[in-house]
Amino acid sequence: MFDIDWRGLLLPLAYLVVLVGTFMTFSTVYRKRKALESANLAPWFGPHLQRNIYLSLLHMEPDEGSEKSPKVPDSVIRAALLRRAVEDIHRIIQIRSAKQSCSSLLQRGSVGDDLWQRFQRAEKEMEEELRDVVMEANALVPGWGQIIFQSANEIAANKALRNRLEEIEAQTVQDKEWWEKRRASIKTEFMKELDEESAKGQAKAVSDDEAVLVDTNTPSATPSGASRKKKGKK
Amino acid sequence: MSTDYAYDEEGYLWPFFVFTLALIITLPLTYLLVKRSRDPAASFPRTHINFKHAHTDTVDSLRKQEKRKDRKLWLVFAVITGWAVMGYMLYLIQTTEAPTHELWNPYDILGISDSATEKQIKSTYKKLSLKFHPDKAKPDPAKNETIDDLNSRYVEISKAYQALTDEDVRNNYIQYGNPDGKQGYSINIALPKIIVSDGNGKYVVLLYSVLFGVLLPYLVGSWWYGTLRRSKEGVLMESANRLFREYKESIDEGGVVTALSTGKEFEELFKGDKADSGLSKVESRILAEGELTPLAGGLSLKDKEKLEDLESGPQRKALALLWAYLGRIELDDSELNKAKFAVAPIAHSLTKAFNAIALAYMNTGPLLASYYASQNIIQALPPKSSPLLQLPYFTPAVAKAVEGDSRVHSSVQGFMDRPDTKRRSVVVGKNLLTEEQYREAISVAKQLPYLRVAKAYFKVTGERFIIPSSLVTLVVKGRFVPPGSEQVPEINAADLEDVDPAEDDLDAIAGRKTRKLVGKDEKTGKPIYETSETELVAPPLASAPYFARDHSPRWHVFLTDSKQGRVAVPPFTFAQFDRPVFEADGRTPTFAMQTLKAQFQAPPQAGHYTFVMHVVCDSYVGFDTKMEVTLIVEEASKAAEMEVEDEISEPEEDSIAGIMHAAKGGQPKRRKQKDEEEEEDSDEESGTDDEDDDTSATNTDTEPEN
Repeated sequence: MFDIDWRGLLLPLAYLVVLVGTFMTFSTVYRKRKALESANLAPWFGPHLQRNIYLSLLHMEPDEGSEKSPKVPDSVIRAALLRRAVEDIHRIIQIRSAKQSCSSLLQRGSVGDDLWQRFQRAEKEMEEELRDVVMEANALVPGWGQIIFQSANEIAANKALRNRLEEIEAQTVQDKEWWEKRRASIKTEFMKELDEESAKGQAKAVSDDEAVLVDTNTPSATPSGASRKKKGKK
Repeated sequence: MSTDYAYDEEGYLWPFFVFTLALIITLPLTYLLVKRSRDPAASFPRTHINFKHAHTDTVDSLRKQEKRKDRKLWLVFAVITGWAVMGYMLYLIQTTEAPTHELWNPYDILGISDSATEKQIKSTYKKLSLKFHPDKAKPDPAKNETIDDLNSRYVEISKAYQALTDEDVRNNYIQYGNPDGKQGYSINIALPKIIVSDGNGKYVVLLYSVLFGVLLPYLVGSWWYGTLRRSKEGVLMESANRLFREYKESIDEGGVVTALSTGKEFEELFKGDKADSGLSKVESRILAEGELTPLAGGLSLKDKEKLEDLESGPQRKALALLWAYLGRIELDDSELNKAKFAVAPIAHSLTKAFNAIALAYMNTGPLLASYYASQNIIQALPPKSSPLLQLPYFTPAVAKAVEGDSRVHSSVQGFMDRPDTKRRSVVVGKNLLTEEQYREAISVAKQLPYLRVAKAYFKVTGERFIIPSSLVTLVVKGRFVPPGSEQVPEINAADLEDVDPAEDDLDAIAGRKTRKLVGKDEKTGKPIYETSETELVAPPLASAPYFARDHSPRWHVFLTDSKQGRVAVPPFTFAQFDRPVFEADGRTPTFAMQTLKAQFQAPPQAGHYTFVMHVVCDSYVGFDTKMEVTLIVEEASKAAEMEVEDEISEPEEDSIAGIMHAAKGGQPKRRKQKDEEEEEDSDEESGTDDEDDDTSATNTDTEPEN
């Protein structure tokens, strides 16, 4: 009964289609890009070498030709796990100390949002990693899971201390060399002074005038300098 | 009644509209342009320096280039267009005559005076109708008349006659100003008719959709992504992120320099094959044996390892060039030399970001390292090198002549405190300085603003004691005493006091006014102050002949806890001072006492807190002050007793101070440790007592540095 003017409606319909289409494309493209971005975020920590060593020890591939995979001694596996725990300790210290400052910097706008995302991902990864290490430790030796991180912590602290000590000790050779040189130069200076004095003594014997001249010159320079220094200090 | 919106057909209204629009847009842009093109650095005083090194021209051209970059071309273009449009519109307004809608006046039509009697009207009408009746009058070809014209003229005349004689018509005329009755009125829209005329509609729609569909989203988007791209410190966000990753608790100045090279800004500077060109040359130069340092670039072995561990690319080149810049190494290649001077300002802007990161961690070491790195970059000195190299013409050989084999570097102040003859004999000679160069170096040294702290103490405005959690003001009193100044006046004891403003003087409390010392009251000995409007004075721009930017030096005051190595009170930055640093000639120091104030919240427990106060200047090496200050926090009950005695209660004081604190963005202090020796016998211990303590601490601490 209504005579619909389809041709007249074409324009508004086209408008609606264009509008909705634009929004949909925009949102899908935007979301895809965001997902890609967050997937491509660089990891916070580099490759976990100790974990890789441990895992490859655990799953040794059989050599070519032989059926059985080589047997790795238990002690080696345990040592590898401990090394892995030590590395975890380093990482966890880094994360704990960075957390508060990272969030405050983010609030202030001094660092970007993606850093925070990376940080949170690293935090989650570390949690998983710790749980994994505890489980592995318990599988190797029952009850070891509770104390493995304590010993790892001590190892880490000891290592840090050792590094510092080594750094200081490495300095000694340089310092020694410098001191030898310094001592030598001081010595030569003293010798020179002594020589001069003796020479002066001889000169005195020869002519009095010259000696007087030298004597008046040296003290006059010092007091004036001292007084000026005093003035400058106030 | 018909209301009729007409577009501006005659074209006399729309110029007004366009003129107004152009005015609204152009005026702010013009202001922006004028403000920008005036060099902000020109208003600062400068150090008088004639020193020219081999690359002064390169540095100057880089400085100019930066200023030119600041001036935006589109702005100039927009302003010119705006003024041109406005000028044209004014011209249109002047030339286009507005159509005149004259009032219909029957007397004028009949050609009689307003006071004419009815008889006169009738006779005039008769005369005119005889003359102008279309039957009688003939169209005059000379006047280009037609029959129609004659007709209409006659109608007008009879209408005018009727208006003056006929009652109805007369009423119409009186009421509506027209003998025919009420006329429709029209409203004109000040837009040209063209935009609504047929066929132009699609262009208008196109314009609108471009404006709102493209331009607006583009502007909003570019603004939003622009803010996301840069961090609060003005560096690229990616650079800030990388710097955060580079932060280490044990970082030193060399480490900071290495960290700075991660900046994304360098990737943009060294695009494509620029990233590797000349890298090996730069590296061989900086890793050659140096005069004073094992390596010519002034980098330590650890820094060298870090450099060699890097993959070759923009970062490695930036780092190598930075070391070449710090070591002031000649690269024998104009391109490389220019790049060397170009990396320094970028690195300096990155130190600000690193500084903010170090501050978020609140560790003293990295914070100081970031300030020192900034000093080194501005003065082009490698870390831990002799501060004497800041003086013009001073080469490593000259510095070595001054310092000898000593491992402790002589500061500029120390060198300048020596008597003139002595220092002259040391540095003037063959392969060292000439007499002229020596004089220039000394004249520059005597202009360097070295802030010598005279006294530092704590106080709470309006109180005699510092009670827990109160708002404490750290007052630092110091004078700018350039190295080697002679006849420095004695410190006036009254200058060292900080008198609270009167309670009703809100301007002074809010820091809008300063007081000038006028004299001393003879009877009471109290100092008399005269208040005046605050006029902050900036010290001269940093004397940095190698740094390709103008930099206004800043001083940072902060408190640290030496036992824990943590920052207790974050830095307060001072770039301007309440008294002038130099006299009008820019050379003679005024030795005026400067007051630096920093407010923070006292710890919540009573006790003695010992802090190390750092006053760090970001532009000069070796001008820093480090001294111990003790904050004595008394029990709240003691202060209450005092109040009863004095009958002074001022609750508002606290609230105003609290508001001020909040406004200044003060941060509550973190340390909550309590000293063990908390004594209750401190009855005589008043504010002055602890000030005395501080003074003595000041003296002992500053003495060796002078």
